[in-house]
Amino acid sequence: MITRDRNWLLIFAVCVALAGVYPLFADGHQLTVIRDALIFGLFAASLDFFWGRTGILCFGHAAFFGIGGYIMALVTLNDAIPFGSLLGIIGAVAGAAFVAAIIGYFLFFGGIRGSYFTIVTLAMGVICQQAAVSWSSVTGGDSGLIGIPPIEFDVGGTHVDLSQDLPSYIFVAAIVSVVVLALWSISRGRWGTVLTAIQDNEIRAAALGHNAPLRLLVTFTLSAAIAGLAGALYVCMAGLVAPDLSGLLLSTEVIVWVAVGGRGTLLGPVLGAIFIQRAQQTISSFNPSLWPLLLGCVFVIIVFVLPDGILSIYARLKSLFKSRRRAQ
Amino acid sequence: MPPKPCSPACANASPARPDAMDFLITTLLNALTLISILMLVGLGLAISFGLMNVTNLAHGEFVTVGAFAVYFVQSMGGSFWLGLAAAPIAGAVVGCILEFAIIRHLYSRPVSTVLATWGVSLILQQGLELTFGLGAKPVTPPIEGTLDLIFTVYPAYRLILIGIAMLTLLGVILLISRTSFGLDIRTVIQNREMAEGVGINTRRTYAIAFTFGAAIAGLAGGLVAPLAIVLPQMGVNYLANAFFVVIVGGVGSIGGLVAGSVFVGGLTSILNYQISPSLAQAIVLLAAIVAVRLRPNGLFNGASR
Repeated sequence: MITRDRNWLLIFAVCVALAGVYPLFADGHQLTVIRDALIFGLFAASLDFFWGRTGILCFGHAAFFGIGGYIMALVTLNDAIPFGSLLGIIGAVAGAAFVAAIIGYFLFFGGIRGSYFTIVTLAMGVICQQAAVSWSSVTGGDSGLIGIPPIEFDVGGTHVDLSQDLPSYIFVAAIVSVVVLALWSISRGRWGTVLTAIQDNEIRAAALGHNAPLRLLVTFTLSAAIAGLAGALYVCMAGLVAPDLSGLLLSTEVIVWVAVGGRGTLLGPVLGAIFIQRAQQTISSFNPSLWPLLLGCVFVIIVFVLPDGILSIYARLKSLFKSRRRAQ
Repeated sequence: MPPKPCSPACANASPARPDAMDFLITTLLNALTLISILMLVGLGLAISFGLMNVTNLAHGEFVTVGAFAVYFVQSMGGSFWLGLAAAPIAGAVVGCILEFAIIRHLYSRPVSTVLATWGVSLILQQGLELTFGLGAKPVTPPIEGTLDLIFTVYPAYRLILIGIAMLTLLGVILLISRTSFGLDIRTVIQNREMAEGVGINTRRTYAIAFTFGAAIAGLAGGLVAPLAIVLPQMGVNYLANAFFVVIVGGVGSIGGLVAGSVFVGGLTSILNYQISPSLAQAIVLLAAIVAVRLRPNGLFNGASR
């Protein structure tokens, strides 16, 4: 267990270092591409924190991403609100957490687990997207809201303005690193251990005095809050918000990022998000309707060939070579 | 929420009749249309999700395939009725392939089933789009015009739809309660190991039951095709609603299926008049979540589990 922790921290440090030196070799456009991918990586990590630790799959996680995005857009676009960026982020996180807490309360305390939870969250995602399209007086309907200003705020007398590529990249990279590290320390500590116990046998965990529904609810709410944060960051960087951001396709893409990167590793999903988005851009440039088709194939392939994600290839090869050597 | 309700105005209510009665009957018939469709789509899900414990997210695509089968037959010059006969066959073929290629290997891995069937759903949607092209596909109903009921006039096709749905449901009830295959299914549901012990081939029973559910969903797609917008992506709406039918109604009985359909379909139809369809959908979802919180085993199954 301790070597596993050390390995994780080592890989984490390497990733942070790579992210740190990347601006020296990349131009402005490449920086923004990686920055946006990192935001989606944060989103993937938020899903992994819930799915990886509890084993319960949320099929509408983009709803929280979208809720965060829309709240951020509405707050920053309203000139009457001072400290728009800061209040927007707080509002986005709180809004996503609030919705998750309400839905989670009814589901977890109602004894809804497993597939039932997946279905209800799937419907939640469908409805969020429909609401974003049809409530056009607030959300701008199909075309969404445009002209969202970049994040700017004062901290300790210095003015932080993230309209340039490099500062925004550093800001996002720092937030992603801090949040991923925080989620990892939560999930490897006592909290995560209890969650694993609940996943293995909820009745036994409850008999040992753990309030399982409450633990699940808090984990789900935290996960949604981080998804909301990712949504808020994304709309400020992209400058627009659209119904797709809360849609079913994004909800399923984030599942693929987590599944490919390796469920329960927190770092894997971030890397999965970055690499799969890269692939998506390349494939979509040939034919836009090809991507969902390939996405479908990836789902089927993951289930049958790589149930533990891309990173498991390494472990499999290692065991393969070991058994070869033993045979000789 | 497809199918679109038929408003009293579009049904050409004559001024001599009392408006309130007209409105009531029309709303009731609209609700009945939706409930019939939901029952047929939910039946397959009640089999796979409720009884076999398989979360099949490609179930909505059986509806889509059924609707496209009607469109395809009509576009080749065939009649609607020929298309309606082809719809359940198309659903059954897709369902059978899905069961054989994917689902039977994943009975012990629920989350993997969710992911794999969602992948299949995306593949089918894009496959249909690549084959038939973008845009909504026109499907003409076999009978135009309306039928004069005493208190209101109502589109004749919708009445036929309700009739066919009811007959199908009756047929399913008879199949399950009267035939030897129905007996096999009930045995496997009650106790899989024991069923194997008395010599029932449970794998085969599962496969046939799954294919059967897919065929009924395909029939529902064919029936709804003239009323709905036929698109490769149309399945997801039916998927979400049908799951709620099964969750709210509880699994294991036809009564639960009917109760769930009446709850979801009735509420949706009534709300559709007052507010926008998306908001109506959201309220139905919330009501369903609250209903599940209050009666975890379904509306119909009091304390049977």
